[in-house]
Amino acid sequence: MSDATQTPPPPADERIKDISPLRQALIRPELGGMVGTVAVFTFFLLFAFDSGMFNAQGVMNWSVVSAQFMIIAVGACLLMIAGEFDLSVGSMIGFAGMAIAIFSVTLGWPTWMAIIVTFIMCCSIGALNGFIVIRTGLPSFIVTLAFLFILRGFTIYFPQKLERKTIIGGIADAAEGDWLAPIFGGKIGQGLFQWLGDMGVIDVFERGTRQGQPVVDGIPMLIVWAIGLVIFGHLLLTRTRFGNWIFAAGGDAEAARNSGVPVNRVKVLMFMFTAFCATVFATCQVMEFGSAGADRGLLKEFEAIIAVVIGGALLTGGYGSVIGAALGALIFGVVQQGLFFAGVESSLFRVFLGVILLGAVILNTYIRRMITGER
Amino acid sequence: MKTMLKSAALGAALVAAPMSAYADGHETLSYVLVSHAPDSDSWWNTIKNGIALAGDQMGVSVEYRNPPTGDLADMARIIEQAAAAGPNGIITTLSDPDVLSGPIRAAVDAGIDVIIMNSGTPDQARAVGALMYVGQPEYDAGYAAGLRAKGDGVGSFLCVNHYISSPSSTERCQGFADGLGVDLANQMIDSGQDPAEIKNKVLAYLSANPETDAILTLGPTSADPTLLALDDNGMAGDIYFGTFDLGENIVQGIKDGVINWGIDQQPFLQAYLPVVVMANYHRYGVLPGNNINSGPGFVTADGLEKVEEFAGEYR
Amino acid sequence: MNSRTEHAPIIQMKNIEKHFGAVIALAGVSIDVYPGECHCLLGDNGAGKSTFIKTMSGVHKPTKGEIVFDGTPMNFDAPRDAMEAGIATVHQHLAMIPLMSVSRNFFMGNEPVKKRFGIPFLDKDKADTVTMQEMRKMGINLRGPDQAVGTLSGGERQTVAISRAVYFGAKVLILDEPTSALGVRQTSNVLATIDKVRKQGVAVVFITHNVRHALAVGDRFTVLNRGQTLGTAQRGQITPDELQDMMAGGQELATLDDALGGTV
Repeated sequence: MSDATQTPPPPADERIKDISPLRQALIRPELGGMVGTVAVFTFFLLFAFDSGMFNAQGVMNWSVVSAQFMIIAVGACLLMIAGEFDLSVGSMIGFAGMAIAIFSVTLGWPTWMAIIVTFIMCCSIGALNGFIVIRTGLPSFIVTLAFLFILRGFTIYFPQKLERKTIIGGIADAAEGDWLAPIFGGKIGQGLFQWLGDMGVIDVFERGTRQGQPVVDGIPMLIVWAIGLVIFGHLLLTRTRFGNWIFAAGGDAEAARNSGVPVNRVKVLMFMFTAFCATVFATCQVMEFGSAGADRGLLKEFEAIIAVVIGGALLTGGYGSVIGAALGALIFGVVQQGLFFAGVESSLFRVFLGVILLGAVILNTYIRRMITGER
Repeated sequence: MKTMLKSAALGAALVAAPMSAYADGHETLSYVLVSHAPDSDSWWNTIKNGIALAGDQMGVSVEYRNPPTGDLADMARIIEQAAAAGPNGIITTLSDPDVLSGPIRAAVDAGIDVIIMNSGTPDQARAVGALMYVGQPEYDAGYAAGLRAKGDGVGSFLCVNHYISSPSSTERCQGFADGLGVDLANQMIDSGQDPAEIKNKVLAYLSANPETDAILTLGPTSADPTLLALDDNGMAGDIYFGTFDLGENIVQGIKDGVINWGIDQQPFLQAYLPVVVMANYHRYGVLPGNNINSGPGFVTADGLEKVEEFAGEYR
Repeated sequence: MNSRTEHAPIIQMKNIEKHFGAVIALAGVSIDVYPGECHCLLGDNGAGKSTFIKTMSGVHKPTKGEIVFDGTPMNFDAPRDAMEAGIATVHQHLAMIPLMSVSRNFFMGNEPVKKRFGIPFLDKDKADTVTMQEMRKMGINLRGPDQAVGTLSGGERQTVAISRAVYFGAKVLILDEPTSALGVRQTSNVLATIDKVRKQGVAVVFITHNVRHALAVGDRFTVLNRGQTLGTAQRGQITPDELQDMMAGGQELATLDDALGGTV
């Protein structure tokens, strides 16, 4: 019986088939996102290689767009796994940006204070979302839909009332010399990129005030935030007790409560985290562009949810992956910008998006059934 | 003969786009037009037709791009993307200099020629390093319209703003109010883009403020439902009605006497001229010495024939 | 008399009454449960079984009566108190999440942590090892600790829930109709699990309305009817027919029983 150690004891139920280690390694929530990422990059490498999509500027372009999606996708992903939605993410982006603008430009506060107060305010609104959902037992879909309108309304009303316009600029000037602003709007690695430019690895500006500088002069903090949030979200979800509670709260709130999981606290915290992510997005945006507009973030909530779903999360909660959501965001960003590079008529973007969404969701459903034995 | 062709092509390539020298020596000029308009804004169809026609006539390729939701931050990314793809020129609107001047400036510095069209001002265009500005200064157009309405005896008005988040829309209303010499205050409503919503908001405003003298709409998106609203409440032809821009229904409204005038900024020219100007600049190095004002022109019931024929297509 | 009665009972419910407004759900029910025994609680629907075990597990407070746990009178304010004292309930609707892995389910709410760089991370290795080990003890061979609970059969899920409760120190295990929705074979698996748990010295309160399931593992049997107990019987002192009659409320259904040819 030398092979006794190798053959596992017979399964308790012979209807459960053994799965080969390779297949088991492949089958994970992120698989759909991985396949999609490979497919999308293959497609654009074939059809848009010479278009500038893969030079320094092009890479930076789709990276930044993907990073934007990632930031809000991480929040949306954890919240969705905890069994809730937040449709107010897009409005929250507009609202947070406008709040920073009003505080720092109209009211003349120092930028760091404007940013911190905005973060506190937005996370409180996230908590309020969560409390209403928990106290009333209403679907978060409806509660946050209400906040979608409420926040968007304020975002138009306040600047209109205070400044008689719907876009407030001058934030960049106000943030000059501020210690906190560069954490959101700055860039890192300028030295490296200057060197790369000098070496001729990346193009340099040919004229103007920035002549001789590389066309890509650093990695925007937006990307650093995106990577940071993805790592944080992934560790939180898979490597901590709290992560287990997130899964449990979304999988079956009643069962989780019976096992002593503080479901309400988990959900409220996840609403706050989603709001936090939206505020990070907004802060990076206003610091980069120097203005806040009433139309910022329109429909971003759906883009976040789409990225999360492409990444393999289950709309009904309890299942998903932050890495998957990040890949979903990458796919989204690369497709959105890549179609421009490939010269595809831009109105067809939605067609491609729909096809990818459908493909990813079908693949993910199949994978999930394999993992969980759903029927 | 052969060498002549060759040197001509080479010359063109040198003049045209130092960025993109094509290996085979044959030069296809490529341009990108970036607008700020959401997909739902039908007015931009004229722009699409304008660049298509100019592209055909000049033998260049022109692509149209826009942020699907009208989010200007997304538009900034599209300009960055266009710059990365390295076309010969970019034609873009400048609806928010704070957001867009960075990416436009970077494109200019990277060696791509830029013409500002539609939104923005000649000053802003110069500031970002653009070749020129083609369009209708919004505040001035609103102001001129306000003066005209004042001359017709208007004292109060309703501005139906279907694109409140764009500063240029608000400038039109503000200019009109200043032209009339009244305070804009609550005379502007945020109508949204949905026709049924716009219609109902206009009806609600007019029944709450029946003494309103005039209505100003900012384009077909707000004008078409407003026409229906006036049909509904019987004020059609009675209330003073002016609108920015033209469209099929607006032209019909002018013909029927419901709309007193339409301000034609001639979008066709805003799309067509930059392509022609750029192609000639890149081929022969010639460039007009000044900005081009495509509007404002007031279209009234007189001389509607051509407008009617091409409304929604080239007018 | 069997040897178990020589120990002190782990939990005693004395004359428990529970009123919901004008409705008297329990009218003085007394039972005691000894470590290492399987005490079956039988009764028809509406007999008060659920109210009774909810009182025992701290969900309801008794209107009258006393709960003595391990020799001391207890007053549970919340299920949490009862849980901490060592009274675990495995519900009809399981506290199991099908989408989550067995090991994550096993430690749900009690996750082991290991500090790294001062941050308490989930100790996944420990969770996985313990889960595999405990499952093997109960005769369930998992494909791996990451196998989702959704892939297990109903009986196996019950077993996971039971072994989880025992692992986390339950002294009294209340099983609320664990076999009601199971097939024959899975039922026998669950009954085997109950037997194993009992042998570890845990007191099992097994609620069922299936006489045959009760007789298969029960040491003692208490029948509830209309909020009252009809007495507790030792194994071997009562026949299945007598139990069935008591549950049905005596005479009235005896004839029906005959009419059905004893098939109930």
